[in-house]
Amino acid sequence: MSGALGRIHAIARNTFVEAYRNRAFLGLSIVAVLLVIASLLLSQLAIRDQAKRVVIDFGQFAISLLSVVTAVVLGVILIFKEIDRKTFYLVIPKPIHRHEIILGKYLGLMEVLFIVILVMGAAWFLAMKVRECPINEDMAKALILVLFEASIIVSVALFFSSFATPIMSGIFAFGFYLVGCSTSVLQDILRAKKGAIVTSQFLRKLAKAIVYVFPDLGLFNVSKEIILDVPVTWEYVFGCFLYALGYSLFFIILAILVFRRREFN
Amino acid sequence: MKSCVRIGVKMEHVIEVKNFHKSFKPPFRFKRIHAVRGITFEVKRGEVFGFLGPNGAGKTTTIKAIVGLITPSAGEIRVFGESPFSMTAKKKIGFLPEQPYFYDYLKASELLDIFGRIFGIGADERKRKIKNLLEMVGLAHAGDRVLRKYSKGMLQRVGLAQALLNDPELIILDEPMSGLDPIGRKEFSDLIASLKAQGKTIFFSSHILADIERLCDRVLVLDKGEVKAVGCLEELLRERSWEKEALVKGIREEEVRSWEEVGALEKIDNELVRIVFKAGDTNKIVAKIIEKGGVIHSVSDRRMSLEALVMKLTETEAK
Repeated sequence: MSGALGRIHAIARNTFVEAYRNRAFLGLSIVAVLLVIASLLLSQLAIRDQAKRVVIDFGQFAISLLSVVTAVVLGVILIFKEIDRKTFYLVIPKPIHRHEIILGKYLGLMEVLFIVILVMGAAWFLAMKVRECPINEDMAKALILVLFEASIIVSVALFFSSFATPIMSGIFAFGFYLVGCSTSVLQDILRAKKGAIVTSQFLRKLAKAIVYVFPDLGLFNVSKEIILDVPVTWEYVFGCFLYALGYSLFFIILAILVFRRREFN
Repeated sequence: MKSCVRIGVKMEHVIEVKNFHKSFKPPFRFKRIHAVRGITFEVKRGEVFGFLGPNGAGKTTTIKAIVGLITPSAGEIRVFGESPFSMTAKKKIGFLPEQPYFYDYLKASELLDIFGRIFGIGADERKRKIKNLLEMVGLAHAGDRVLRKYSKGMLQRVGLAQALLNDPELIILDEPMSGLDPIGRKEFSDLIASLKAQGKTIFFSSHILADIERLCDRVLVLDKGEVKAVGCLEELLRERSWEKEALVKGIREEEVRSWEEVGALEKIDNELVRIVFKAGDTNKIVAKIIEKGGVIHSVSDRRMSLEALVMKLTETEAK
């Protein structure tokens, strides 16, 4: 591998090794075990035949939340650490474009998230097996959709960390996630003609702006479809891929624009 | 003594800094800090160029601009005739920052491997180069140890190895001797001398003036963001001297010692005496020597130490 791809690969590889050697995966394994135990315990508390629903719903929620937390934490910390510890002083003077550094970081983090979701998914499947829930293809698609969701959050975290402190970046990125999860609710409120909860024109405009700007992260959660046995088509998954790709590219480009102008004083 | 003129060598400029200014605005402050105030200098191909000055003089800021970590507020910097941000220029540069920080979870060999990939060096060549470089900097035994277990001196050696990975034409070293023990410094100096012999251009800043004096062809003294002196080290040490010396025959040592203008006196052999005096007293001393029947062999600028030159130029008291 040579040229730009080789350089991006070198940065991505380093990012992955950093997460791996910092024992991020050890913590992940512990969380995966906790996930299995928690979902089994919660399903014990479920009423009658709701045990399957609890395992599926809780499992997907936990995987989504953990992957988003991983995306925010790593996305926010890794760039800041390089600036704070001045390791970029060794990288930037080398023949590498700044956009290649951001792309490498992004791809390295995606590799980490892929492993996170894979391990958590395996734990989820194990919990379902124990509870004798049937495992089907749609559940694998649900995991793919979680990865797409995390890809947006990583790009957002990288963008904020290219100019803000880790705490601020973390708050912004996680806030972005929470708003993204609520856009479908906002859409429903705006669509409702009768008995509209929000009557203030200003708030309605603000809600509309949020719906237009923020991604609808609810699209990546298909737990309802799985519980109700509504098939999740590959066309839907592909549509979500394009949706996530569009948002990710937008924030990666913003991160690159900021990072290119950054001074390393 | 180093020669100031290199005969038969085309003096191509590897680094050109023209009227470089850099100012920063610290957060929550109205006033800008002017780190560098319009400096101009060139570094010629194949020379060892020393960058001197007290802390806060603007040395590291200038180096950062040369390697593309910051952009000039005004002025222009060219490296191999290109912008410091150009890939062509970067490919020819090896850079060791001041107190380098590394990815401490990596082994030295892994760090060099990642940087080798960035330079686009092929797998086989990368492997061979990493082995040779680790041997060269004395870390062959520790190449498979993670960097967090390295001492400061060992990290400095890794820093040097990564700066030489691409076989650079221009090597920029910011305080390379810091953190090294006397043996390490000696090895480092020998390495710089051997790189110079290979025709590399070396630009380095150091607080250790003995190293600069021993290794550099030309120096630049920077203070408060301004160039105080630039040029051939030997010439600077003579030109900037406030003292002169006269070699005189046929005059009694005891007699000279009584002259109030004389700073120092040294008997070289049975006949020859060296008289040291302030440059401003040259006419008086010459007149007195002639009056006493002495024969003047020579009157020349007295070579001062580099430390004295830097102290004089930066008006800093020696501690």
